[in-house]
Amino acid sequence: MTRVHKFSIPEIIFGRGSLSYTGLCARQLGGEKVFLVSDRGLEEAGWVARVIEVLEAEKLRWVYYSEVVSNPRDFQTHKGAEYYLQQGADVIIALGGGSPMDAAKGIALVASNGGQIQDYEGANRIHRPLPPMVFIPSTAGSGSDISQFSIITDVGRQVKMSIISRTLVPNISIIDPLILETKSQKLIIAAAIDALCHAVESYVSKISSPFTEVQSLQAIRLILQHLKPAVATRSLEHLEQLSIASTAAGMAFSNAGLGAEHALAHSLGGMFDTLHGLVHPILLPHVMRFNLSACTEKIAVIGEILLGRPLGSVQETAAAGIEMLETYCGELNVPVRLREIVQDRSRLEDLCKMAVNDVCLLTNPRPAGWEDLLHICWEAW
Amino acid sequence: MSQKPTLEDLIGIEYAKLGFFKEVQEKVAELQASNLKLELKRRHIQGILDGITDVMAIISLDFRITSVNQVFYNVFEETDPAGKFCFQVFRRQECRCASCPMVIALATNKVCRQLEIFPVNGKNRHFEITASPLRNPQGTPCHILVLKRDVTTEKEYQAKYYQAEKMATVGVLAAGVAHEINNPLTAISGFAEGLKRRLPRLKEKVDPDLAEDFDEYIDIILKECRRCQGIVQNLLDFGRPKSNHFCSLDLSSVIQDTLKLLQNHLKAYPKEHIRLRLQDPLPSIYGDDSQLKQVILNLLFNALDATSEKGCITLRTFSRRSGEEEWVGLAVEDTGTGIPSEHLNKLFEPFFTTKPAGKGIGIGLPTCYNIIQNHGGEIVVCSEELKGSTFLVRLPSGTSALPVLTL
Repeated sequence: MTRVHKFSIPEIIFGRGSLSYTGLCARQLGGEKVFLVSDRGLEEAGWVARVIEVLEAEKLRWVYYSEVVSNPRDFQTHKGAEYYLQQGADVIIALGGGSPMDAAKGIALVASNGGQIQDYEGANRIHRPLPPMVFIPSTAGSGSDISQFSIITDVGRQVKMSIISRTLVPNISIIDPLILETKSQKLIIAAAIDALCHAVESYVSKISSPFTEVQSLQAIRLILQHLKPAVATRSLEHLEQLSIASTAAGMAFSNAGLGAEHALAHSLGGMFDTLHGLVHPILLPHVMRFNLSACTEKIAVIGEILLGRPLGSVQETAAAGIEMLETYCGELNVPVRLREIVQDRSRLEDLCKMAVNDVCLLTNPRPAGWEDLLHICWEAW
Repeated sequence: MSQKPTLEDLIGIEYAKLGFFKEVQEKVAELQASNLKLELKRRHIQGILDGITDVMAIISLDFRITSVNQVFYNVFEETDPAGKFCFQVFRRQECRCASCPMVIALATNKVCRQLEIFPVNGKNRHFEITASPLRNPQGTPCHILVLKRDVTTEKEYQAKYYQAEKMATVGVLAAGVAHEINNPLTAISGFAEGLKRRLPRLKEKVDPDLAEDFDEYIDIILKECRRCQGIVQNLLDFGRPKSNHFCSLDLSSVIQDTLKLLQNHLKAYPKEHIRLRLQDPLPSIYGDDSQLKQVILNLLFNALDATSEKGCITLRTFSRRSGEEEWVGLAVEDTGTGIPSEHLNKLFEPFFTTKPAGKGIGIGLPTCYNIIQNHGGEIVVCSEELKGSTFLVRLPSGTSALPVLTL
């Protein structure tokens, strides 16, 4: 399939200690009073204080907003936008994992375009520019610092809304591997598996391009090579490689999109508020099996990386690769069956009927109805 | 979601990260337009301000000048008034004026008007001052707009008008009084004449000494009656000028004729006591010969009274042209005692006199004033005590009828 591709990413500042450029970046974007979004965990780890220190060194004024939880809520973005306007802030800086970053995008959006966050659900529905955004990811996973996505939970409908727009791509992403050192083992695994999932799904996406595919494969390779040593040793060298992997996966999925696995993961997050990173080891192998017929060769390429070598045929390599992935996830000491995180099997049908509307499903290599998704869930149960 | 996103939406080739560039462009265009509008408005207002011929100053609440208009520099010598105290710049004082119109305007929250006389560049000027508070957008006064209109000329005209009106009133009164006195006076003099005619018959019957007394007394009565009749006639002339015989005249020859009349009288004075500086030729004027002679006589007698034997009197004639108008002037200068400054502005008032009783009743100069007014001219005086006085008469030149001031 030939089509016109597009590849857009923010400016990326990468390296140990790159956090100290935050103030300079905000200043260069015209900032005078920074709106800093983060959460309790990063406050406790001292990173919020460190960022404020950097801002003050640059003589920037700041306000701090931390009413953000995992799976950020619509009202939190509204409250944040109100605070932003009331304080007369300009540049928005987000420090954290996917939640603070997605919340910061929502705040930027509502503050500059008005209305409710729900008004912008879907693709390309933003018509006015957003305040400049500088994002500092604290996990090697979400890719929100790179992507054109913002996922916000609509509390009323119990749905995770996908808001997609090139305007949601931050201006600058500052990736400092030193921040990862303070992350828990659970968070490191969850983020890395999220990134792996981004890489796999964007690789097999219907709109993947040579520019995204190379990033996807790079991410898969790096995660397989460094995740286990990183968890075992927590050495900075391995964590740094996971950061690169996560950024590469972000570049890939922001431009190529995701697939059925993320459609289901979003719905699970919306209905059961499950931690996003925990869903992937359970669902990914089953989604890959479902997609196998539509993209055998591509899954074989992934399989070859997982196995370390090709098997006799493409089909063999692909199938063995998926099995290898299941084994790999099992070894990470995380839940691998859906029943471990969802109590009520009867709600799966509603879940799938909701997931079938998720934007991520658009790029899934094999068309999937809700029945197909329900089948995948049963497989994973 | 109103519309389900498509793959094309995800690729989003037509959608780029939105920037503020367009918005900035629009804002800049908007600002340029509004700036242009403001500039036009500013010029409009500047035009209005430039059209104001009064001195205008914006003064802060602590009495410091914030800004002034162009007229200020024409009137006052100060070249850089901004930041200085208004009382320093306007009045050359070191503290604020007692009845400051600004303070009143602020206290009453109304526009305050006041008339003030103060010297500017050494000359007393009459100013009408208007002070109005300027308010900031919150409505509290922050500055005061002060307008100073120079009404010196208007005030002078006004004073002249009052003077003329007074003269007219007094003239009518005097004529009435004179008329009333004339009848008894005629009776007195008539009966005195009758007594005088009967005296020869009385002489034969009485003591010759007594008859002589009667003769002398009746003569005195008649003489004093004639004097009274003269005064009454003067009063009547003052109040009701005789019908004019206006014709084209040469002022210099009128002066010479007048001096011939006085030849006898002037024998008592040194030869060079009266000097003539008469311009020849002099543009002719349109006037009444006998009335002008009366003016010259009056001025000359006053000058003679003021000078001692050592002093001298100069009579000058000259002509001046200013624009369309040409004037013929007569100056009577003396080096006499001068006139005290407090008397200067009363000189032309009827019945004002400094002469001893019996020497004058104070209608000489008022009569001169009336005559010159009737000729469309002007009479002014300047004098310095102990040095002398100059009476200056200005008459319009020309040979035909003039717009005569009606009294």
